[in-house]
Amino acid sequence: MGGMVQDEGSSSVTSSPLQSFSLMSLSPAAQLMSPPVTWLRELKSDERGLYLIHLLLNCANHVAAGKLEHANACLEHISLLAAPDGDTMQRIASHFTDALARRVLRSWPGLYRALHPPSAAAASRLPPEALLARRHFFDLCPFVRLAFLVSNQAILEAMEGERVVHVVDLGGAASDAAQWAALLQALRARPEGPPHLRLTVVHDQKEFLDVAAMRLSEEAERLDIPFQFHPVLARLENVDVEMLRVKTGEALAISSVLQLHTILAADDDPAVAGHQRKTPSPFTKNSNNVQLHRIAQMSHRGTLGELLEKDPVNGYSPSPDSATSSPLASAPSPKTESFLASLWGLSPKIMTVAEQESNHNGPMLTERFTEALNFYAALFDCLESTAPRMSVERARVEKMLFGEEIKNIITCEGAERRERHEKLEKWVQRLELAGFGRVPLSYFATLQARRLLQGYGCEGYKVREEKGCLFICWQDRPLFSVSAWRFKRFE
Amino acid sequence: MASTSSTVPFYGSIREEDEHNQMKQQQSASTPTSSTAAPQTTAPVKKKRNLPGNPNPDAEVIALSPKTLMATNRFICEVCNKGFQREQNLQLHRRGHNLPWKLRQKTTKEVQRRVYVCPESTCVHHDPSRALGDLTGIKKHFCRKHGEKKWKCDKCSKRYAVQSDLKAHSKTCGTREYRCDCGTLFSRRDSFITHRAFCDALAQESARIPTGLSTIGSHLFGNSSMALGLSQENSQITSLQDQSHQSSNILRLGGGSGSGSHFDPLISSSNPSPFRPPQPPPSSAFFLGGGSNQDFDEETRSHHSLLQNKPFHGLMQLPDLQSRTTASSSAAAANLFNLNFFSNSSSTSSINTSNITSNQNNHLMISDQFSSGNGSTESTTLFSGNFMSDHMAAGMPSLFNTSMRNESSLPQMSATALLQKAAQMGSTTSGGSSLLQGFSSASPSGAKNTSFQAIFGGGSNGSGDVLRFQMENETRLQHLMNSLANGNAGLFGGSGGVAAFGGNCTTGGHEQEAGGFGGFNSGLCNMDEARFQHNISSAGSLGGSDRLTRDFLGVGNMVRSMGGGVSQREQHHGIDMSSMDPEMKSGSSSQSFDGGTL
Repeated sequence: MGGMVQDEGSSSVTSSPLQSFSLMSLSPAAQLMSPPVTWLRELKSDERGLYLIHLLLNCANHVAAGKLEHANACLEHISLLAAPDGDTMQRIASHFTDALARRVLRSWPGLYRALHPPSAAAASRLPPEALLARRHFFDLCPFVRLAFLVSNQAILEAMEGERVVHVVDLGGAASDAAQWAALLQALRARPEGPPHLRLTVVHDQKEFLDVAAMRLSEEAERLDIPFQFHPVLARLENVDVEMLRVKTGEALAISSVLQLHTILAADDDPAVAGHQRKTPSPFTKNSNNVQLHRIAQMSHRGTLGELLEKDPVNGYSPSPDSATSSPLASAPSPKTESFLASLWGLSPKIMTVAEQESNHNGPMLTERFTEALNFYAALFDCLESTAPRMSVERARVEKMLFGEEIKNIITCEGAERRERHEKLEKWVQRLELAGFGRVPLSYFATLQARRLLQGYGCEGYKVREEKGCLFICWQDRPLFSVSAWRFKRFE
Repeated sequence: MASTSSTVPFYGSIREEDEHNQMKQQQSASTPTSSTAAPQTTAPVKKKRNLPGNPNPDAEVIALSPKTLMATNRFICEVCNKGFQREQNLQLHRRGHNLPWKLRQKTTKEVQRRVYVCPESTCVHHDPSRALGDLTGIKKHFCRKHGEKKWKCDKCSKRYAVQSDLKAHSKTCGTREYRCDCGTLFSRRDSFITHRAFCDALAQESARIPTGLSTIGSHLFGNSSMALGLSQENSQITSLQDQSHQSSNILRLGGGSGSGSHFDPLISSSNPSPFRPPQPPPSSAFFLGGGSNQDFDEETRSHHSLLQNKPFHGLMQLPDLQSRTTASSSAAAANLFNLNFFSNSSSTSSINTSNITSNQNNHLMISDQFSSGNGSTESTTLFSGNFMSDHMAAGMPSLFNTSMRNESSLPQMSATALLQKAAQMGSTTSGGSSLLQGFSSASPSGAKNTSFQAIFGGGSNGSGDVLRFQMENETRLQHLMNSLANGNAGLFGGSGGVAAFGGNCTTGGHEQEAGGFGGFNSGLCNMDEARFQHNISSAGSLGGSDRLTRDFLGVGNMVRSMGGGVSQREQHHGIDMSSMDPEMKSGSSSQSFDGGTL
């Protein structure tokens, strides 16, 4: 069978390479062979794209099932087709395979550690490249900018008439002093005059906090706004609300831009969450091999359709992620709950939450993989529409931002997996459970968002308002959500 | 004392008299006015302008307390405590209680002019020389300047002290616009200013470009000129490819860098002969339809770069194809076929005349193996929009050019579209892919309908519907084909047109049939037949069949999602066309299609 595939692929001129492709999809055995290089190279962009998707999904299934040889064969194929500077699908594929390969490698912690010494990873400070990538993302795509704009507008409206305002920025990688510079300007323009503003920023990099403090203080002075900057040097999951030093009498606003999901990881920390699941042995982050072997018993055949349909790791959930199927109550997340409850306890007048609109927190690798593939494909498409292929900035965003997130989603488990994006519906549940009441975004906020997009000059981005929350979409696919909340007393 | 009529112009208020009378009544009724009449200073002589605030010096100056000014219902009924704003109304009310009442008669007595000062001592209108001429005026002044803003606009949250101000505002709220340099529009000036601050803030961020990468700080806030630089690059690419504004889509072409860019010169070198010089009748008709020469050139260029990898085989074939056409094959016509041909060729690695068959073969194999019999091949479906859009562009003058070009200038499927496609392939095979289902569900359906109508013109609305119906039913194919063929024959009077579209339909039908049966052989044979019969038009028919297949599969969604708003627009055009008068439609389109498809 396999031989035939290669024969046909290489010898007959009249038949399309796709023919062999299709045959291959019927026979997983073919994938164990050395890749038929000749026809692979002749694939056109779209054929290649489809083939890459096919291979990627196959590969993810193999990795999830612990069939490392199959996975290896897939990776070998993909390596011939993927390219970090190629077309969109090639780029996507190169980042996803990187993540998959790392995941496989993690089953041998020794190998993995040797290749990725923890010293480099342990450094909490982000490399400058990553910060640059953030910056480019901010510039190239309107998502973060819109999140800032809408959050600020909600804060501004909630703080109308307040004389003493305390804003807490929960920080995170997407956090940016630009948001607060903008808020300062907006407060300055208030008809009732600017309030006393106190800004608390949680961040795990001292450099970031120093720069933000300096810049914002300057700005506030220039605008003649009474301003205090209060840095909290910590990771969000380690933050105690006491550290935020919220005082009575001040009107509190909390802002989180693409950050709240990181607290979900804390629940996966064995020290915190324990092993409450049906897992027979304590699964720590480096014991994936156990789980791989376990899953390896699952049989597997591989047409694309079957792959898509099948769920090889069904019923196996090694970590307390929130599975899409299970209701929130059955997936206890004490740390998350207590954190949200403590925020609620501060009785904020407004809390804005911007999050990725995708579920990258499923317990199953395949599930996460597919979700991430779709989500990041849209993001890569965004970049494709704005930046030329050779753009250094684009490559940087793809590698240092998207690529790192993909790696985190695919490769990591346990507390290390911090990119636990979840859809708004999940956050609504959580936040309502914690006692927050939804604040519909104002007409004006939505209007502003729309107009910002109009002025952005790139068709394809859309803003959709749903139940007072805002979705920022690429084409018809929502990619980010912005919602606003406030302290609500329990009845 | 001047008569009322003579003073009115001075105060610019017609309510004057009413207020005046009322005031008089009030005072005579000794309603409390805490700070009674201010010293009757004869107002200073500075009477440069007769503006409000420069009262007639002879007028009686009245100072009312804030409480009085703010009071709304000062005339209270002693029986039911109902309040009234006017004495007259109270009097009328008293009648209902059978209380003595007296409506004030029109006084013939000459009335004393009165002016009112603002009770706020710091206010400029506190000075009798700046007193206001009417009571309502001073009330509103006091509310606006010294009162609480109780009325809030729901839309923009601007506040007003006077309800009527809010009413006036709400009439215009959201209608007036301020435009920022960034293109953002604002209805309110203050929000515009707020935005400007934000916008400037961002601009300032962008302006701080780091010179080195030495400190993290500089990275944080610096280096944002990227956007600028990029947009410049983009614009270059845009201008290279196309002068239209559809930058986003065309950018993608440019994004194809390697392949995209080096095609342009090649094409222009190989193309000039057919395209540049104005052509004899058939082609000139085409050109007329398509707009200017240049316009058309752009369009073709975008097409070429569209089909990045292998358009040249097709190009090479131009002569072949032309020679085969029986009628005077205009260059334009050839080009049209070329385009169609390309759109088809995207699925095959190489194309020559003899290869068309193998091309079809590929379709066969793929569809056969890939997903049980829905006859979809990935790439053939990709550019299926082209065929239609070409014809549209030919038939419809510049009106539709942009949108058409736009759609056809999608160089390749976006990753999103590919995933969607993959999901569909998966779902047709397995019937319910759990993995990609959420994704594929995001795609709206609707494109297929439109494209049919567009293809077959408004001339046969009915047949289009029938077609779709049939497609969905997968039955009564014969009928379908008949109706299609009929519709087309009627539509495109020219023989070439008939041939092309006839072939188009049959093959489409067959392919669909084949898809329905899972086997493809019959479809193949028929297609071959059709193609050989109308040799050149087979290129067109292939394109057509692709599209039919695609639409049948509902994959048209992909194109839509790729094109985004653009294809939306295109839909409209399609609908417009179909809603036109059938007769007229067929007339005009047959003409243009003659030129185009011969």
